[in-house]
This record gives sequence, C-alpha cells and structure tokens, in this order.
Amino acid sequence: MTRTILMWCAALVALMTCTSCVGQRQINELAIVTAVGIENGEKPGTIRLSAQMIRPSDARGQTGAPSGGTGEPIYSALAEGETLFEAIRNLGRFASRRVYWAHNFVIVLQEDYARNGIEDMIDFFTRNHELRMNTRVAVTSDSPAEIVSTITGLEVVPGEAVDNLFRDNKIVSQAPSSDMKNLEEAYLSTSSQPVLARLSLVSRGISNKKPQEHGSLKQVELAGAAAFKEATMVGWLSPEETRSLLFFTERLDNGIVAIGCPNNGNKLSVEFRDAKLKVTPSYRNQQPEFRISLRTKADVVESGCDTDIAKLRADIERSLEDQLKETIEATLHKAQREFHSDILKLADVFRNKFPAEWRKIGNQWSSAFSEAPIEVTVKAKVNSVVLKSVGSVK
Amino acid sequence: MTKIRISNGMFIAMIVNMIFVKSIGVTQGTLARIAGQDMWLATLLGTLQGMIIMYITYMALKRAPGMNFLSLGEAVLGKWLGKVVALIVLVFFIASSGPIMITFVYHLRDYFLPEAPLSLFLVSSLLVGALGCFYGLEVVARLALLGMLFIFLLNVLIIIGSTHEFDIRNLLPVLENGFPAVAEASLHYDADCAMAVMMAAIVMPFVNNADKHGGRIGMTGLAATGMVTLIWALLEGAVLSSEVTSQYTVSCMKLARNAHIGDFLQRYEMIMIALYSVPVLFEIMICIYGTSVSMSKLFGLRRDRWMIVPACLVIAGFSYRIVGDHFKAMEYLEKIWPYIALPIAFGLPVVMLWLAVVFRGKLRRAE
Repeated sequence: MTRTILMWCAALVALMTCTSCVGQRQINELAIVTAVGIENGEKPGTIRLSAQMIRPSDARGQTGAPSGGTGEPIYSALAEGETLFEAIRNLGRFASRRVYWAHNFVIVLQEDYARNGIEDMIDFFTRNHELRMNTRVAVTSDSPAEIVSTITGLEVVPGEAVDNLFRDNKIVSQAPSSDMKNLEEAYLSTSSQPVLARLSLVSRGISNKKPQEHGSLKQVELAGAAAFKEATMVGWLSPEETRSLLFFTERLDNGIVAIGCPNNGNKLSVEFRDAKLKVTPSYRNQQPEFRISLRTKADVVESGCDTDIAKLRADIERSLEDQLKETIEATLHKAQREFHSDILKLADVFRNKFPAEWRKIGNQWSSAFSEAPIEVTVKAKVNSVVLKSVGSVK
Repeated sequence: MTKIRISNGMFIAMIVNMIFVKSIGVTQGTLARIAGQDMWLATLLGTLQGMIIMYITYMALKRAPGMNFLSLGEAVLGKWLGKVVALIVLVFFIASSGPIMITFVYHLRDYFLPEAPLSLFLVSSLLVGALGCFYGLEVVARLALLGMLFIFLLNVLIIIGSTHEFDIRNLLPVLENGFPAVAEASLHYDADCAMAVMMAAIVMPFVNNADKHGGRIGMTGLAATGMVTLIWALLEGAVLSSEVTSQYTVSCMKLARNAHIGDFLQRYEMIMIALYSVPVLFEIMICIYGTSVSMSKLFGLRRDRWMIVPACLVIAGFSYRIVGDHFKAMEYLEKIWPYIALPIAFGLPVVMLWLAVVFRGKLRRAE
C-alpha cells in the first residue's frame, strides 16, 4: 500500500514538472488585441490591418490613469500583407510582444474591402482557434484604423466601448447584433444572407477642457447596417430601415417612434412593445409570395399635443401603423429591388414551409425573392399613457 | 473466468463513455455533411440500430455463460480457427484507435496546444491508458462512472451556455435531404456504437448477471448514450446550423467555444475539455485493453498484462500515421473506418450467435 502511494506521489510530482512547458505564453509577453480594422492595402491585392492592443499598465481601473506608463491605454499599429495572416504576422515585425487574439472585441471592415468580398476574413477568423465566436463584426465607411483607435463613451479601451455599444444595442435597436457566429452562419446558409452593423465616426463628444467647442470630439456611432449578398457587400441600410430589418432577424419587440400630433404641429413619442411579426409564405404560379403582418401594443410616453390623448387615440394608432409599415416596405424595397439579397431571412420561412418547392427554386432564390409579391399589414393598439391619467389636459 | 465483477451501472457508464466522446466530437460533423439539419434523426436512428446489435451480442454471449467472443470462438471453432476471431477483434481495436486518437488529439492540440508535438498527446494518453489497463478492468469500469458524472456536467454546461441561442428554424425542414441520407449518416453513428458493441463482446462476461440482464443493460446503455448525444446533435444543429457544423472536424468544440453564460462567463471550453478528458481516456484504456486481450489470445498467452506494452506500441504507431495528417485522418474517419467497424461489429455478433446455436453441443462440453 505504502509503495503504491509513493508511486502515485512520484508520478504526480513528475507530472508537475511538465505543466506549462508546452505552448506556454506569459501574460507580460502578450500584446492583447481588443479591436482590429481591415481594409484594402495601398498596393492592389493587399490587405491592411490595424490592430488596437491594450497597454495593461495604462488601461487598468476605470479611468486608465497612468502609473508610470505612457498615459495611453492602447497601442494601435498598422500592417499590410497579401493575405490576412501575412498582415497579422507582419505586425510582429514591430509589435514588441506576441500578438494575442483571444480577447478581441470587434472586427471593423472598411466599406471598399467589404464590397470586394469578405470570404477570406470569415474563413480566417473562424479557422483560428484563439478567436471568440462572439467577436462583434461591423462595417464602416470611415477609416477602420481611426475607428479602432477612437476612445468612445466612458470606456478606456475603444474595443471594449464598441462591445458595450453592441451589448446595449437592444435599447436603441438601430443596428444588428452582428458577430462572427451569426456572420458565418448566414454566409454558409443557402437561405439567408449576412447583414453587419455599421460603425461611423461622428463629432458628438464634448471636450471637458474646451466645452465651447461642443461636438468637437469624434465618437464611434453604432447605427445602420451593411447588407451583403453571399460575401460581398451590396449596400447600406439606414438606422430606420435597420430597425425594420430587426423585426425579421432578431425578433425586435419594442422601440420608439416619434409621430406628429394630429391637432397641432408638435410631436408625440410612442413606445411600441410586444411587437410580433408573422411571415406567411405561399406558392402560386411557380412563384413565392409572402404576407407579413406586424401586431404591436404601444404606450404614449411623451406628448406635446396639449389635449386629451383619448381623443387622439385612433389617429395615433393610424400614424404609428403607417410609419411602421412605411419603413418595413422601404426595407423590403431595398432588399428586393436594390440589393436582390434576402437579408430578411424570408427564404428560411419559405424553405421550412415548402421544402419541395424550395428544391425547385432555391438555386434561383435571388431572382425569385426579388420578384416575390409581398403584402405588409401593421396593426397597432395604443393602450397606455403610462403614469398620467388618460383624460388629463395640461 | 476471473474474480472481476462489473456492476450493471458501471457497464452502462462504460457504454456511454465509449460512444459519447467520438459521437459528439467528430461524428456530428460527418452527420451534418451527409444529412444536414437531420443529424439528430441520424443519431436517433443509429441508436436504434446499435441497440439491436447490442442485443444480438447479448444473445450470442447468453448461450456461452462466462465466455467472451474470444473464448466463444475458441470453444466452437477450436484452438487455431478460434484465433481468427481473436485476429478480427484485434484488427477492430487497432483500427478503432484511429478515430479515438483523432478525437483526443484534435480536441486538445487544435484548440488548446497547437504547438505541442503529436507524440506528447500519444505518449501521455497511452501511458495513462496502460496504467488503467495494468490495474485491471474493474478500475477502468470505475473510471467510467466518474466519466459518466463528467458527461452529465458537460451536458449541463453546454445546455446553460447554448440554449439561449437555440433557433428551432435551423432544424427545419425535417427530412429535407430524404430518409436515405439520414440512413446513410446513421451508419457513421453506428460505427461509434460498434466500439461499445465490441467492448461488450469482451467485457460482458464480467458484468453481474449478464446472462440474465445483459441485453437489457446493454440496450439501456445505448439508449442513455443516444439521449446524451442527442442533446449535442440538437444544439449543434439549432445553435450553429448544420452548415456551420459540417465545416468542422471537431464540431463540438465549435459549439463549446461559442457557449457563454451571460456576458461575463465566456470561453469556458477549458472546463468542458477537462470534463471531456476522463471519458476520452476511458476510451483509450478500453482500446488498449481490447488490443492486449485479443493479442494475448492470438499468441496463446495466459496473462493479458504482458501484452499491454506491445498493444500500446502498435496503437501508437498506427495512430501516429493516421492522426499526423488531417487529410489522411478525415479520409480514414469517414471512408475507411466505417467499412472496418460495421462489418466486424455488426457481422461478428451475428456469426457468433449462429455458431453458438449451431455448435451448442460443443459449447456445452466446453463449459
């Protein structure tokens, strides 16, 4: 018995000597990437990669106050290569530490690069074992290098700030929550097309040191979307159109709509909630057809109408229905007539209901979708004015 | 035969451990490539087929109490022809080391230690496997119980981390590629069941009351495996989509990498792989055990332990050739292994049952 115990102990001690020897990476030897931008390189056929890496000594705490460091919480650098992997390896020429991707928050693609096709990027980032599948992916018409190095909001690390924008995106609901996982899924799917969020630089930040120059600080804005066909970007969706898209792709159930008061020129805010979108496909004359019905409840959350809202109820409901219908139709029009790309996942619904017919027309879905008649109906019911009494005036 | 006794619970756990590891790891990707979103149906169909063949194995062994396929072969066919059965079993277990090592190595090396040499994984796993075999089947069976607990925890973790992204639409329409595709895909799950069937063919005599309840226990083990594997088949199909699942060699790691609990607990695949390692080491132990037992029978040795080291060397050499090259590994996994596993694991029990029925007099004399 004693011999057995001794043998086990010896084996365990021997095992201890093997720990952390193979493939070890010390944290102080890593350059932790938190955001990456990708765009076309200067030479044709090359890719330029901008990586934002954290400087741990300056990024700690809530403010990133320097403690003997440079005061800059991030270090951003550019590299070029014929492929993404080559560009990443080329970063190692001047990054003094080993570039580490496991904590990357966001991948920002430049519009021109996205319009050329992003197959290589999808493949690279899904083939790499270090990356998270919930890394956010977005497209920008600005410089991705600038986006990934712009400090936004309260966060010290820009990549983390953008990640937080995505995290709270449900509240604003004007951009899709696009990440590597759903990008890969849509790209590989035979019945849906990818949509990525749009990031833009807007001068909205106010400097504490120069408050008179309000709006002088650039901030990263998450609003709108880039529509793709296969792996190629085909166009932009406005923030309003994107919200309509989210009814289809992310089951959006609430949002704010500003509508004009019927009695005066002022505005009234309505919060729609518990919205439910139903897509009913049908197949007639060798052609798919869709009936889209949106039903929602709504609350009046702000009113400048200066009258009893009970009297305006029917008008408010009609205005809300018209606005929602208009934006859904605008999104459908763009998808069908401009992009010829089923970004609304209507094919998924059709395929599930009509698998035999899908086999016939699935290969030409792009044209079938573009020509499909789609009928939209919206039904809204205003049933609350929140805290105030219904009959109150002034 | 010997004093080794395996409880019924241990035997069920052994079956679950033996199939689960590969079936969630690499088989689901293959099923997705063939049957698309119907991979869960293929898993279900494979489970039913496995249960039938397990019952046939039991029926054969029931007619020869206390014997396994090796001793049954020797009893009815004689010493030299009986070695043919031992050779077939030996071929099966050596061949099974390919998919087992593919599962073990690709999980650890591709996702955690890409710079580590292949030999490290082979040597360390075979050392642990050999140690388990050296201490005997009972110790290995107890490890299976621990593995069963870990499989349960693993499933709990993946359910918690993935269910919020479950999209039933990814599993529709059902039978889009037709039943033949599902049936074809189920053969790959059958190849996983084959390992449990051949394990049962060797260890069932040591199971308590195997002659009475062996069939029921064996089928329960396969049904339990079907259930725990089905969770992964459904999650991989619904969360990742069959298109994404079909892209990966180790599709379960794709799901594991994606799992997260809320916004703050992410990338806990290291915990899952730790839980996964016990069943995979059990599988390696059984592979070494099966190889060493059949080698002993083939060479007429009285003690199986003498063959543990040669068995490890043979498995190491074979696995090194298969696992070192991804292209070769995938070809072996999808195009060669099922053609070895299915005829042996599905054919041998039928043949042994036939032999046991035809030569029942000879069997009675041997008893």
